[in-house]
Amino acid sequence: MSGTAGALYETTLGPLPTLTSKPTHYCAGCEHGTLTHLIASALEALGARERAVLVNSVGCSVLAPDYLNVDAVEAPHGRAPAVMTGIKRARPDLLVFSIQGDGDAASIGLLELLNAANRGDPITIFLVNNAIYGMTGGQMAPTTPVGMVTTTSPRGRDLALSGPPIDASKLVASFERPAYVRRVFLPVMPTASPEFYNARGALEGARAVRHAFEVQERGGFAFVEFVSTCNVNWKMSVLDSKRYAAEVLAPLFPAGVLRDRFRMESP
Amino acid sequence: MSAEREFLKGNEALAYGALHAGLNAFYGYPITPSSEIPETLAAEFGQGNFPEFRSFLQAASEVEAINMVNGSAATGAKTMTATSGPGFSLKQEGISYAAGMELPILVVNVNRSGPGLGNLGPEQSDYFQATRGGGHGGYRPIVLAPDSVPEMAAFPSLGFSLAFRYRTPVILLADAFLGQLKEDLTFPEVSSSSFDTSSWAATGARGERRHVLASMHLELSDQNAASHALHAKYDQIARHEQRFDEVESDDARVVIVAYGICARLARRAVRSLRAKSAPVGLFRPITLAPFPHDGIERLLDRGVQNFLVVELNAGQMVEDVRLAVNGRARVNSLGQLGGLIPGTDELVRAAEAMLG
Amino acid sequence: MKREVIVAGHGGQGVLELANWLAYFHVLRGRHVAYTPSYGPETRGGKVKCYVVVSDEPIDSPIVESPDLLIVMNIPSMDYLPLLKPGGTLLVNSSLVKDARRRADVEVVEVPAVDIAAGLGAFAPAKGTDTSIAANSVMLGAALATTREAPERLPEEASEVFRHFLTGRKEALIPLNLRAVEAGAASVGGAAVVESA
Repeated sequence: MSGTAGALYETTLGPLPTLTSKPTHYCAGCEHGTLTHLIASALEALGARERAVLVNSVGCSVLAPDYLNVDAVEAPHGRAPAVMTGIKRARPDLLVFSIQGDGDAASIGLLELLNAANRGDPITIFLVNNAIYGMTGGQMAPTTPVGMVTTTSPRGRDLALSGPPIDASKLVASFERPAYVRRVFLPVMPTASPEFYNARGALEGARAVRHAFEVQERGGFAFVEFVSTCNVNWKMSVLDSKRYAAEVLAPLFPAGVLRDRFRMESP
Repeated sequence: MSAEREFLKGNEALAYGALHAGLNAFYGYPITPSSEIPETLAAEFGQGNFPEFRSFLQAASEVEAINMVNGSAATGAKTMTATSGPGFSLKQEGISYAAGMELPILVVNVNRSGPGLGNLGPEQSDYFQATRGGGHGGYRPIVLAPDSVPEMAAFPSLGFSLAFRYRTPVILLADAFLGQLKEDLTFPEVSSSSFDTSSWAATGARGERRHVLASMHLELSDQNAASHALHAKYDQIARHEQRFDEVESDDARVVIVAYGICARLARRAVRSLRAKSAPVGLFRPITLAPFPHDGIERLLDRGVQNFLVVELNAGQMVEDVRLAVNGRARVNSLGQLGGLIPGTDELVRAAEAMLG
Repeated sequence: MKREVIVAGHGGQGVLELANWLAYFHVLRGRHVAYTPSYGPETRGGKVKCYVVVSDEPIDSPIVESPDLLIVMNIPSMDYLPLLKPGGTLLVNSSLVKDARRRADVEVVEVPAVDIAAGLGAFAPAKGTDTSIAANSVMLGAALATTREAPERLPEEASEVFRHFLTGRKEALIPLNLRAVEAGAASVGGAAVVESA
C-alpha cells in the first residue's frame, strides 16, 4: 500500500502547468494541499485545464485560484453551487468545479447545494469536511461532532443546543438526480512502522476527483466529500489530528460510494 | 415578434425588450408584482423565437438566483434577474459581489410598497437602496428609471450596453404601476448588439492567459488600488452617463422633478398648469444614478428658483435634488405612500404655491 | 381625440376583460392606449376598477381622475359617479343597478347586460344569478355603440379583439361573445352621446 502511495506522490508533486508556483497558505498537515494536487493532476490527465473554471467559495479554499492555474470566479459564502450553475448553463462546454468547506456547503449554503443536487446540474463539488471553521479561527461547524470543543462550543458541541452533525453526502445522495456521491477519508495515516505511511485515502481521492470531472462531462452532478483534519484549530499535533480523524470522524462520516451512475472502471 | 404594434403590460414588455436585446440567461424567483417577467420568459424559453436565449431557471431563492446571474455573467453572457422589494433586499449581497468582480448584470426591481412585506401597490421607496448600492462595501450601480411601457421595453437594451461598457451592475428601477400598466408599443426591428468579453470573461485559460474574477484582495494595498480603480470608473460613469428628459422647462419658474409613474402624473400637471399660463415644467431623471446633476445645473443657470420633487416615498430623490441645487434654489417635496398615487390637483396646488 | 374611461364592478363580472377588450379595440385602430388594472389615487366601492385612456396623441398620465365614460357593472361601483365629467356618460348594467339616474348633468345609458346575456343563453350558473359570462361583452358592444365606435365593421373588429384574447380552450366562446357585442350595441340603438374631448 505504501509503495503505491509513493508512486502517486511522484506523479502529483512534480511541476504541473495547472499549478501555479505560489506556495500555499495551507497549514502543515492540512488535506487542502493534497486535494489541490489531486485536482491539478486530474485536470492534467483529462487535458481539461483550458476548459476548467474554478468557483472559489469562502473558507480555507478561498485562495484556491492562487494555486490552481485556471480561470476562476468568486462566490459569496455558501453560494458556489449557484454560481457554478450559472456558469454551466451559460457555457455547457466548460468544466466547472468548486472546493467548498463544511460551513460553506452544509450550513450557510445548504439551500444552494441541495437545490443544485436536486436539479442534477452537471457540476463538480469537492467538499473538505474538517469538522470546524478553519479560516475564521476554529468555530463550530455543521459537521462538528457532539462533544468537540470549538471556540463557539467551548464546553463541547451540545446535542440539545445545536443538534447532531449534518451528513452532507447522505443529504445529497437522498436526491434522485446526483450521478456521483462519494466520501473519501483523505488523511495520510501513520502506520506501525515509523518509516511508512498509509496514503490509501489520497489514492482513492485521486480516482474520485478524476471520476467526478468525468461524471460532469457526461452530464451528471458529482459530489465528493473529503473527511479531513484541521490540527491547528483542533489544537492537536498533526499526528494526533490524524488519529482523531480516524477514531471520531471516520465512524461518523464513513467512507464509501453512495452513488455512481456512471460506474468507475477501476474502483 | 415583428414590428407590429403590441399591447403589453410593463413587465411583459420588459421581458420582450430583454429578449430583443439578446438576453442569454435569466434566473429569478417569483414575487408580486414582477412575476410576469419570469412567466413571460418561461413561456418563450426553448420555443426558438429568440435563439440567443439559452438559459432560464426558476431558482430556489432570490439569493440563489442572483448568484446564478453572476455565474452566467462571468462567462460574458447577457444575464438578467427581476424581483421586487423584499427580493431586491436579498439580492444585495450578490450585487455587491458583481460590483466587486466587475460583472455586467441587469437587475430589475419592480418597486412595491412599504418596509417588510408591505403591500403590492406602487412606491418608489427603494430609491435609496438602489442608487446608493444596497449591499456592502461602497459601490455605485447605474440605475435606470423608465416611465412608460415602451421604455420598459427599451431599457433592457440600454441597460446591457451600459453594463457591458463599464462592466458594472445596472439596476432597472420600475414600480408596481409601470409593471402592471398596459400600453401600446412597437419593438424596434434591430439586431441585438454583441459585446467583446474576451479580455475578462471566465471561459477557460488559454496558454499563460487566464481570467480570475475576484473582489477579494487580501493585501491592503491591493484592495486600496482595486477600490480606487472601481471609484475612478464610477466617476467616469457620473461624467458621461447622466440621462434626463425635460418638458416645458425653457421658461419655467417652477420645475417639477419626478421619475417613473410620477413623471407621468407630472406631465399631466404641467399640461394643466400651462393651460392656465402657469410657467411650470418637468425635469425627469432617466438615470437615477448617476443623478443628472448637469441637467439641474443648467436649469439653475436659466434662473429656475423653484423645484418641486414628486415621488412615491417620504422624500428620497429630493435629497439628490438638494445636493445638486446646493442651496441655490427652493426645493419642496411632495410624496405619497402605501401604494396610493397623488392626484393631479395636489401637484397643481403645490406648484402654484411655489409660484406665489 | 382623447377619451378617459373607468370600468368598475366586482370580481367575476369580467371587468378586467371588458377594459382590456375596449383598450385593444383602440390599439387596433392605431390609437395610443393606456390600461391600468387597479391602482389609483383612491379606492372606493367596487372591488375591481380599471382605467382606459385612448388618445390620438401620446398619453401623459394613464390615471383617470375624471372620466368621460364610466362603465358601472354593480351597485357599489356607483360610488365612482361623482368623478364622472359633467356632460360625460354613465353606462350602467341596469340588470343590477336600478337607480342610476342620480346626476342630471351626465348622460345615463342603461343596459340590462345580464338579462341580454341570459337571453343569448349565456348564464354561468356556478357564478350565481347576478352575473353571466357574456354580460361584459354586452357592455363592450353598448360602450362602442354609445361612443359612436360601432359602425358597420363592428363584428369584424370585435372578432379581431376576441381572437387576440380568447385563445386555446376559450376560443370556443368567441361566437357567443360576438353575439353579445352585437346585442349590446343594438340595445343602445342610436344613442351617441360621448363625443371626442
